[in-house]
Amino acid sequence: MTSRIIRLSAAATLLLSTAVAGHAETIKVGVVAPFSGPFALYGKQFQEAIEVYQAQHGTSAGEHEIEFIYKDVGGPNPDQSRALTQELLIKDQVDYLAGYVFTPNALAVAPLLDQSETPLVIFNAATSAINAQSDFYLRTSYTLWQVSAPLAEWAYEQGIREVVTTVTDYGPGIDAENAFVAAFEEAGGTILDSIRMPLSTTDFTPFIQSIREQSPDALFTFLPGGPPTFGFTKTYNENGLRDEGIMFLGTAETEESNLQAFGDAAIGLTTAYHYSADHDSDLNREFIAKNTELHPDSVTNWATIGAYDGTHVIYQMVENAGSDGPAAVESVLGMEWESPRGPLTMDPETRTVIQNVYIREVERDEESGLLVNREKGVIATVGDLGWPE
Amino acid sequence: MSLFLNILIDGIAYGMILFMISVGLSVTMGLMRVINLAHGGFALVGGAVAHWLIIAQGLSFWLAAPLGVAAAVALAWPLERLIYRRIYGFGDLQQVLATIGLTFLMIATVNRLLGSTLLALPLPELLAQSVDLGFRTLPLHRLVVIGVGLAVIAGLWLLIDRTRFGIRLRAAVDNRATASAIGINTGLIYSATFCLGAGLAALGGILGAEMLPIEAYYPLRYMVLFLIVVAVGGMGSISGSFTAALGLGILDTATRYLVPGFGTIFFYGCIILFLALRPNGLWGRTA
Amino acid sequence: MSDTTLTPKRTRTIAGIPFLGEAILIAVVIGAYFLFPYNLAFLTRILIMVLLVLSLDLVLGFAGIATLGQAAMYGTGAYAAGLFAVHVTGAPLPGLVVGAVAGAALAFLSGLVLMRAKGLTLIMLTIAVASICHEIANKARDVTGGADGLRGIRMEPVAGLFEFDFIGKTAYWYVFVVVFVVFLLLKRLANAPLGQSLRGIHESPERMAAIGAPVYRRLVLAYTLGGGIAGLAGALAAQVTQLVSLEVYSFNLSAEALIMLILGGTGRLYGAIIGTVIFMTVHHVAAAADPFNWLFLIGLMVLGVVFFLPKGLAHLPTALTRLVRGRT
Repeated sequence: MTSRIIRLSAAATLLLSTAVAGHAETIKVGVVAPFSGPFALYGKQFQEAIEVYQAQHGTSAGEHEIEFIYKDVGGPNPDQSRALTQELLIKDQVDYLAGYVFTPNALAVAPLLDQSETPLVIFNAATSAINAQSDFYLRTSYTLWQVSAPLAEWAYEQGIREVVTTVTDYGPGIDAENAFVAAFEEAGGTILDSIRMPLSTTDFTPFIQSIREQSPDALFTFLPGGPPTFGFTKTYNENGLRDEGIMFLGTAETEESNLQAFGDAAIGLTTAYHYSADHDSDLNREFIAKNTELHPDSVTNWATIGAYDGTHVIYQMVENAGSDGPAAVESVLGMEWESPRGPLTMDPETRTVIQNVYIREVERDEESGLLVNREKGVIATVGDLGWPE
Repeated sequence: MSLFLNILIDGIAYGMILFMISVGLSVTMGLMRVINLAHGGFALVGGAVAHWLIIAQGLSFWLAAPLGVAAAVALAWPLERLIYRRIYGFGDLQQVLATIGLTFLMIATVNRLLGSTLLALPLPELLAQSVDLGFRTLPLHRLVVIGVGLAVIAGLWLLIDRTRFGIRLRAAVDNRATASAIGINTGLIYSATFCLGAGLAALGGILGAEMLPIEAYYPLRYMVLFLIVVAVGGMGSISGSFTAALGLGILDTATRYLVPGFGTIFFYGCIILFLALRPNGLWGRTA
Repeated sequence: MSDTTLTPKRTRTIAGIPFLGEAILIAVVIGAYFLFPYNLAFLTRILIMVLLVLSLDLVLGFAGIATLGQAAMYGTGAYAAGLFAVHVTGAPLPGLVVGAVAGAALAFLSGLVLMRAKGLTLIMLTIAVASICHEIANKARDVTGGADGLRGIRMEPVAGLFEFDFIGKTAYWYVFVVVFVVFLLLKRLANAPLGQSLRGIHESPERMAAIGAPVYRRLVLAYTLGGGIAGLAGALAAQVTQLVSLEVYSFNLSAEALIMLILGGTGRLYGAIIGTVIFMTVHHVAAAADPFNWLFLIGLMVLGVVFFLPKGLAHLPTALTRLVRGRT
């Protein structure tokens, strides 16, 4: 029995270090994401995006079959994330990892990636610092700096001079605040106040009133998705800030899966983001049509596109290098391709995609009667601006 | 001055929501001595049904809201008769476990049927507009919430103080054995009270959806908030819940206006201080 | 909380054979190691959770202190051990001591206030303490890493000999040894005068006060001990995962630990173990099979146990024996 374990660990190390790019084999990809609990939608969308990609491009890349294994991490839980990743690497012997919604979940597996030389494609987690922890991280979502800083520059160009930032008081919120403040002040604007709202906030009126009293040209906000975003945008609208000309500047707030729930209150909200389901291109229309065909109830949003492009990167790596991790990562650095969201380049330095950031405004689409993020402007090819130099 | 008024208005509106949802919990905890962690589930059920009626069936808010409340009551009645009856006799810990189990089932059901995204309750035109108060504007529905909250407390006071049901209820709270000995049907009182609590929770859930949006994990997300109201107000006390809910609403709002960065620490610090000084809450009876 | 009977001092043995329970425990752990060699990381998580639930059993099952805030001590232990590893030394054993001391210190300080309350008030106070810890860790981003997590924890070999390996063998045995030692100590404690006294307080604080027992001080002591063990569990988690996130303070963690304990049966150490193993295994299997609906299964399981085995799963053998013998 003991000898089996020894053989197993030997096999694990061996397997992970040998480069077998030559002959056909089944390549396994472990997807770690929440499939249950309040964040279950992420996991569902990841899986849907992968299925869309498979429907369009088949289940093999080069001469290799690609198989996906899904693991439910439940929520932000680094202990569970690490345990599941270990299980995927040892038991299922996956060659690639993918998914990872929350920053601590992604960070917790950095030592495993280095030891096993397994590439991990982040579909979501948006903190710049993650990719610096291991050379095996690649990211097809975005970073908070990547969208917040261009928004600040654009706002200044639009004649906005005074802004109050109001973000939820936790890591991502503070990242977004830092990025916006730095870029806006750099451009020459003034930050009147930086409010940090507790995570547990349910009634946002106090913050909205404080902003109203300072009467800035615009407010910049970052909130975790779901109930807080809903509460904040409602309150913004109801307290007459829009009527007083205080513009709403945000990023992920108007993402598609909760947008319809906002109702007319959302119309006119301005956000800067890397993907809108309303993006005007044939590729995007095909992508959404396929998703709707396969999953009639599904709403396509940034999580879907992050996973879809991530799957593309994995397919390319498999085709180029099979199960050889380091070679696979090397082979996609600098890769350029056209995605439903626009042109993408895998930045060789930050290993986060360089992409267009779009300035959008929520409108009610006349044909469908649904709320959409209509693109009004584009800031071309932005890299990860938060990368630690 | 306007800051003070802002705190007062927003705090009271928030407090009324907390009161409506929590009062039923307080009464059932005081009367049946049951730690009902599933209470927020009734707010969820009411809100989810109202959402479904508005979005999928195209009903108006004015019809959907009472139907949502009715649905919560319709669920509460058999639950009380079949399940809670037995839970009353359990020890504290078994009650916690049983009602947590029920909460899980409610969440899983809503999750299964309506998914895990926000369940919007679009307000009718009338309520969605803003009122100009001179120094600020206020959404009309907040005023409605305050009005309904006041109506609920007045109604409860009349019910408990002025009706035969109220007399029997108070007798049952004071001493169940004696109450049933003198011929009061305590079983019926329990059922009625439980349903009333569930109905109020649903009402609070629907009216409060602008602040505490309805979604499948609602009962777990806000469980602690509702329990705090009960603990501060004192179990079984309606006036205690009312005062506590308003007080906490105003406290929470004030910390957000005055010390936004440290609101959470300050809020819980106050709770600890208060409960350390008054372990039985404002008007609580000793457990 | 009426299911513990004030038993006279006796050594708890299974079927009258001394140390049979311990032998079974060791056999199960060795067996699991060989049966599930690929799942050691998950098994290690179960062991750490067992330790947290054991701490809860001491606090709640023995001393009758109602709490939904055990995560406060677990999280503090985790952050203490994590920060110690980052800034002082990566040696695991001193880290454990730091974690345990940190957990105990928080429990002692908060216990001075908390142990005067009871019932719902006490529960709310414990929740408030955990919430404040959560918020402090969130605010002190420069120290704790905030929501991104505390990173940079690199562990040295255990006792300078056993390197933490990729498969998690070292972690598994390391955690098991710690859990087992704590288990033995708790078992001794249960039968020691302090344990008896705590049970007495749980049964009737008034009576214990009447016979001159320092009820308040005993409760603070029990809460502090429990806090130390919870801190130990947190420290183990920090060392094994090498990352500490804000979730260590989450209400869900406290609530889940409580569910596991009541499932297994309070006031008996084996109950804490059985409850944790069953809950986590069912969760693991159900979540893998149907993640979207596993909550149904957990809900039904919880209700089933409450209605049919009110004293917990540890009571199952007795319940079955009674059923067979026909004297329900």
